[in-house]
Formats: sequence, structure tokens, C-alpha cells
Amino acid sequence: MKLILLLWQREGISIIRNTFQMVMLSTIFLLGTYAIYYGNSKIMEQHKTIKNVEHIEKNKFEHYKNSFYSDHTAVEEKQLFDIASNPAYAWYRHEYHAILPPNGLSHMSLGQRDIEPYYYKLTGTSLYYQLFQSELANPLKLYVGNFDISFVLIYLFPLLIIAFTYGLYAEEKENGMLPLLRLQTIGLRKILLIRIAFYYALIVGLGILLSSIGFFVSSEVDILTVSLWISAVLCYLSFWFALMFLLISLKKNSSLTAISAASLWLLFLIVLPAVLNVYANIVYPIDNTSLADVTRRRSLENEEDLDEAKAVVLEYLQSRNDLKGADSLLHINTMAKAYAAFTALNDNHHRKEVSDYFTQIRLRQKKISLFRWANPAVNTQGVLNEIVESDSEIFQSFYQSIESFHKDITRFYVDKLFLNKEITSKNYEALPKFNLKIDSENRNQKIKNGLLEIMVTSLLIFALSWLLFNKTTF
Amino acid sequence: MKRQVFLIAGKELKGMARQNALKILFAIIIILLGFALYAGHIAYKQQKVMVETAQKERRAEWLDQGNKHPHIAAHYGTYVFKPKTLLSLFDFGLDTYTGTSVYLEAHYPHEFMFRPVQGYGNMIRFGELSAALVLQLLLPLLIIFITFQTFTKEKETGTLKLLVSQGVSIRSIYLGKVLAYSLIVFSIMVPFFTGLYIVGVIEKTSAVINDVGLRILLLFCVYVGYLWAFTNFSVWISLKSSSARNALLTLLIFWIATGIIIPKTSANLGETLHPLPSMKTYKEGIQHDIENGMNPNDTKEKRMARLKEDYLQQYGVDSLNQLPLNFGGIQMQEGEEYANKVHDFHDATLYKKFERQNKPGSLMGFVAPYIAVRNLSMAFAATDWYSFNNFQEKTNTYRRHLIRTMNNDMAKNSRYGEFYEYKAGRNLWETISDFKYLTPKVTMVFKYYWMELASLSLWVLIMFILIPSSSKNKLI
Repeated sequence: MKLILLLWQREGISIIRNTFQMVMLSTIFLLGTYAIYYGNSKIMEQHKTIKNVEHIEKNKFEHYKNSFYSDHTAVEEKQLFDIASNPAYAWYRHEYHAILPPNGLSHMSLGQRDIEPYYYKLTGTSLYYQLFQSELANPLKLYVGNFDISFVLIYLFPLLIIAFTYGLYAEEKENGMLPLLRLQTIGLRKILLIRIAFYYALIVGLGILLSSIGFFVSSEVDILTVSLWISAVLCYLSFWFALMFLLISLKKNSSLTAISAASLWLLFLIVLPAVLNVYANIVYPIDNTSLADVTRRRSLENEEDLDEAKAVVLEYLQSRNDLKGADSLLHINTMAKAYAAFTALNDNHHRKEVSDYFTQIRLRQKKISLFRWANPAVNTQGVLNEIVESDSEIFQSFYQSIESFHKDITRFYVDKLFLNKEITSKNYEALPKFNLKIDSENRNQKIKNGLLEIMVTSLLIFALSWLLFNKTTF
Repeated sequence: MKRQVFLIAGKELKGMARQNALKILFAIIIILLGFALYAGHIAYKQQKVMVETAQKERRAEWLDQGNKHPHIAAHYGTYVFKPKTLLSLFDFGLDTYTGTSVYLEAHYPHEFMFRPVQGYGNMIRFGELSAALVLQLLLPLLIIFITFQTFTKEKETGTLKLLVSQGVSIRSIYLGKVLAYSLIVFSIMVPFFTGLYIVGVIEKTSAVINDVGLRILLLFCVYVGYLWAFTNFSVWISLKSSSARNALLTLLIFWIATGIIIPKTSANLGETLHPLPSMKTYKEGIQHDIENGMNPNDTKEKRMARLKEDYLQQYGVDSLNQLPLNFGGIQMQEGEEYANKVHDFHDATLYKKFERQNKPGSLMGFVAPYIAVRNLSMAFAATDWYSFNNFQEKTNTYRRHLIRTMNNDMAKNSRYGEFYEYKAGRNLWETISDFKYLTPKVTMVFKYYWMELASLSLWVLIMFILIPSSSKNKLI
């Protein structure tokens, strides 16, 4: 213990005396705090938009509800009441919002939150006309990516680890200190590990400090998310320390160790993922051109032809056994019913195409994720996104939930339309509500697997380095 | 002096040829470059086929939509798909982050849909391997690895003093070394760009860009300037450093700061300083201005009343029914024209914001040459924001022409108050020619990217200045 404290004290003094290392530490800390500020500002913007969207929706529905109690003498009042009570208008005029709110810690790893839309405006009209909208974004900014704390931890912390540890052995040799160290009773490997442990404590401590600032900034934090985040940080940084221990164990000169470390950084953070992305693009190309057509605004072939309109309604009713008696009522509001039926049939017609498109995406992502274990950097990014719910899978669950929400909206209005029922003020108490359906168990399992993979990789590298150290000579 | 420079260059090349580690790194760069170009070519071909097929299908749909009222046809509309430009096989640029298709219909100028990035998942944030990425980030790293100890080693072994004492100037040694490393870089660049040119010639059937040769030449010049400046800088750092370790650390920090940290922070700073509105707020703003007018006298009601008055006066009639044309069509077109005006105003404001967001990045090109090269590279490859915006503008013009033609036909051939009674057919649909796109001339790049060109030129100039003068022979 005394030895550990002595060596750590020596390392501490050497850091304080080394301006370059102090500048590096301070720079990373400052960049980390900026990253938290940036991530937080992005999420605050999203919260603001969500609040605005919810406010608009609430306001509109309040107006509709109030219209039941007005005397409808003014034209505007009558119009509003019609939209509020007549399903023939309401099904395409009532606007709902499906929202994927940010998790309490989403600001720490923005993931796909700037790429995928996090809210959708939905009416009973064609789902696919409404589903493929995108949020405003500067393409160059999307290309460059986000400077959030996960970026600092994944990209910059390994550089810090490299800068502090690459010369731990080689520099002693180059400075002529090695023979002196050999004279000590304790082994070189032990000395080296104690010194590495110092930097481990320092850098992991800095990572946890920055993460804690991120937790502190958040208004809602739960202990499980925090624990998982810290575990991910620990696993990832341990991987880099293990890797550096491996390089040091090879006992090459300091320049070669630094070059090798920089090359590995480049390999894990740029080359491997970049190659894999290109590979995915050519092996699993996604054809969205055929899908463009499903977003088309369509209407009946002959909108003035009542017979055709009735035929469309009857075709739709064939798939709706639950709407008993609706066919005998089709002479009332025929065109409105025909338009609603046509929209539903059109969506049904395109359902497979859309489902195939999402299957293509899922397949591609599944295939890419098979390589995830081989790259702890990519694995950690994936795990961090999953922990704070900004990963691509949650957006896919979001799309799927939207589909069932849209079904609820359509049924709410269309059923009343086909059964010639008015919307009453009481119906407003049971309006369709958006529910995000997530397979939490599967998600948690994925996070656990990811962490386990990084941990096992780190341990294997550490064990290999342990064995190598005493076998190699400088 | 020339002889000395060549002798030193020759010696450097021989020294490098003996280092196996460098040979491996060199081979890795070549393999990555080849793979990136190959993958880029496949992606280009795949996308080309998809876009051409889809465009043909949509064209056939438009022509075969049957007889209907022109306004219904205007809502039925059509689609335009963004073709990949040939040079996207070299630099994907922003292609992954911009939409690929747009629905063109009456009243609603839709946004581009289906950003390819949405199909990749979490890993896309690590970037894609393109030949441009290899030249922008990986090749400079190779340059660092081969140059960092070029002077420090000579200093440590004492050969530098020996050379100087024999009358060889530091300038000659410096130039010799730069020449040797530049030759290595050239040995990668020249065959690569020749290959790219050959692919460009073979694939010329693609009519999206008609100045591919010139663009490739400009790309070559930009990369030569950048990599030469980088080589010179690395050699200079080696000259000024006391040890190989210091030189390596300085160069690696420079590479990471200018290639990774500064590009990201400057882009994020731009976004923080000039935040974008949400799509909802943006669309609401447009809708508000269409309904209420961009000034108090331009509300929808007032505009329509004025239009009606103007037409009645112009034709000297009392009611709209007496007009020799369908006022409904005129009204619709007027609505479109005003909406176009509003959209143009809001779009210009939005694009100004994009430019302001991107400005800190462009300015940082003076500190980080990588940013200047990255922006110029995607601009010459026509995969940058301005090229996309140009495509967007062309689709807008096409959409407006399509809707105008439909509304004018309605006004000319149908009667006021009637709708379903009038049907147009294939003859009218055929008057709308198929959408064709040609990338603007490369000169556009000089207009938008003068700051990047200036910063890269400045870097090259500074590197010339840094070359030790022949009078200075003092060693560090």
C-alpha cells in the first residue's frame, strides 16, 4: 500500500509539473462541459417544440369541446361545431401528435434524435402521406455529428489514455531509468500496473465527474440509467487501458508505441465503422424510391360518381365485420364515407410495401450489429444510445406505435362516420391516446450483452498483456 | 543546390523503402483507397439504376393517369428523385444526409423525403469510408508517421551536423526531404486521379454532370495543395522539434484537433448561435403568411377581392360567369403565385440560417485546413449543400411549371362554377416534359467557397514561407 501511495504521489507530481499534460486534462474537461451544454441545449429545444405541439393540440381540442356549449349562431361557431361533432369533417381535421419525448439523459448521447423526427402530426387521413416527413436540419451539421458528452468519452478519452500511458515503460528505458527499476525488489510489471492504475483512477474519475455534471443538469434521473451509464463508461475506458497495457507489454520504443496506439484509435473509431457502413450500403442497399409513391395524395377515380363511391365503401366494409349495419346506411354522407374508405383501403394496399421497407432497414441494422462486439467503440456508442433511448431501434418502435395510434384515430372517427353517429362532448373524454410500445426486456438484454462484450474483450486483452509483459524484452 | 536536393530526396526514399512498417501503412492506404472507390462505384451504380427506374415509372404514371380535371391531376402530381452525381463515388459528401425524393403536388411544396442516413442505425455517426475521407484524414496520418522523425533522427544521430559541416544547407536538406515525401504522396495521387478520370470517361453516359474532367482536375489540385502543405508542415515540425517524441505528439495533436475536434465544435457552435426553427413552427409561419399576407393589405380575402375586381374590369363584365375564362383557375393560380412568394421568402431566410451555421466552420478552415478541403471536395464532387439546393430549386421550378400549366388549362377550357364536367387527358399531361437535371457549372464553387479557397491558399503560402532560407544554417 505504501508503495502504491509512493508511486501515485510521484505520478501526481509529474503531472502537475508537466504543463502539456495539465493543458490536455483541462482542455478535455472544458470540452466535456461544453459538450454537456451543447447536448442539453439541443434537448431543451426539443422539449420546447414538444411543449408547443402539445399546447396547440390541447388548445384545439378545448375549442372543439367548448363548441358544444355555444349557441352556434355565428358562422364560425357553427363551422367549429361541425368540425367538433361531425365525423365527416373531424376524421381529417382533428390533429393529434405522436411524440417520442427525450429521456432524462438524452442530452448526454443525442444519437439519432437529430436525424429521426421525434414528433408527428396525425389525422385520420392516409398514414403514409403523414409518416415520411422529416424535421428541418442542416445537412452539413448532420454530417459532422454532435459534440455531446458521449463523443468526448468515446473519441477523446482514449486519446487522453494514450497520451498519458504510451511512454510508461519505453520512456523509463529511453531515460536510462530502467536498470534502476530492475534493481527494486518488486517486479516491473507490478510497478507498471500501479502506475497505470493511477492514470486509470485519474481518467475514469474525470469521466465520472463529467458524467455527473451531465446527470446534475438533467431534471429527471433514475438510478438504473445512471448506473448503466457509469458501467458503460467504466467498461469502455477499461478496454482502452487494457489495450495500452498490451502495447506497453510489447516493449517497443515510445514513438512506435504512440504510432501503434494512434493507429488503433484510428482503426476502431474511423476505419472499421466507416468500412462497415460502406459495406452495409452496397450489400444491403435500401430502395426507398418505390416507397415514394405511397406518400401520394390519392382520391377516388370519379369523385362525382355515386355508384363508384358506394362500391368503395362496400369494399371497405367487407374487411370491417365489426361495423354491422353500416352498409344499410351508406346512402347518407356517401362521399365522405367513400373518401374515408378509399384512404383506409389505399393504406392497406401499401402496407406491405412500407413494411418491406422497414424490414430492409431492420435487416441491414441487424447485420451491421453482428459486427458490434468486434468494435468496443461502436458497441459503447450503441449501448450509451440505448441507455438514454436515442438509438435507432427506439425510433423503429416509435414508427410501429404510430401505426397503431393512427389505427385508433381512424377507428374513432370512421366508425362513427359509418354508423352515422355524431361525436358527443362525452366522446372527448376518451380520445385516442398515443402509447409508445417498447420491448423493454429486449432492450435491457441488449444493453447487458453490449456491456458484457466490452468487459470480456477488455479482460482478454488484459490477460494477454499480463502474459506478454514478462515474455517480451525491450 | 538542385543536385543536393535530389540526392537527399533519393536517400530519403531509399531509407523509407527499407522500413517494413511504412510499407504496410502505405499498402493499407492504397487498399482503403481502392476499396472506397470500388464501393463508391457500386453504390453509384445501384442508386443510378434505382433512380432511373423510379423516374421512368413515375413518368409513365403521370402520362397514363387517365382523363381527369387538371386540378385533380395537379394533386395527383409526380415525383422527382435525386440522381447521384458521378463524383459521389469519390466523395459521398452530404448525399447520405439530404433527402432523395420529393412529391410535387398543388398547394403543398413538400420537403425532400427519405434521408439515407435513416436506414443506417447508430453506426453512421462514425462516418462512411469514401476515397475523399482517405485523402483528407488517413493519408495525412501516414504523412505524419513517415515524417515526424525525419529531422529529429538526423539530430539525434548527429548526421545533420555532419551534412551541414560538409556545406549542405538546411534549405537543401529540407527541400530534399519534402520532395521525397511529396513524391510518395504523388505516387498515390496520380494513379488514383487517373483512375478516377478513366471511370469518369467510361461513365459519361450519366448526363447529370457535364464538366467531370474539369472537376476531377480541380479536385486533384485541391488535394495536391492540401497534402503538400501537410507534408511541408510535418517536416517543418520535425525540424523544429527537439525529439522525435515531441514531433510526433505535436503532429498527432494537430491532426486530431484540426481533423476531429475543430470541425465538430465549429459546426456545433454555428448551430448553437443560429438555431433552426422546428418544422412545425416553420410550416405554420408559411401558412400564416399565406392566409394573412406578408403585409396587412395582402390577406387572402383582400387579394382575391382585388383579383376579382381586376378581371371584371379588364373584361368589362359584371359577373364572373360572364368572363371568357374560368375564374376558378385564375384564382387557383393566383393562390399558387402568392404561396410561392411566401415560400421563397421563408426558404431564403432558412437557407441564410444554414449559411450562418456553416460560417464558423468555413472560418475555421484558416486554422484547420481539413475543413477547407472537406468543403471544397464535396463542392467539386457536387455533393455539397449548394448542389443539393440547386437541385431543390430546379424541382421547385418544375413543380411550379406543372401546376401553372394545369391551372391555366382549367382557366382556359372549363367554365366557372363547374368542376367535374371538364376533363383533360394525355395531350395535356404530355405538355409537361420529363424532369431533367444538369449540375451547375463548376464555377459556382468559386462563388460560394471563396473562404475555403483563400484558407487553403494561405496554408500553401505559409508553408512556402516556412521553408528555411538558404542563409539560415543554424541548427536547433
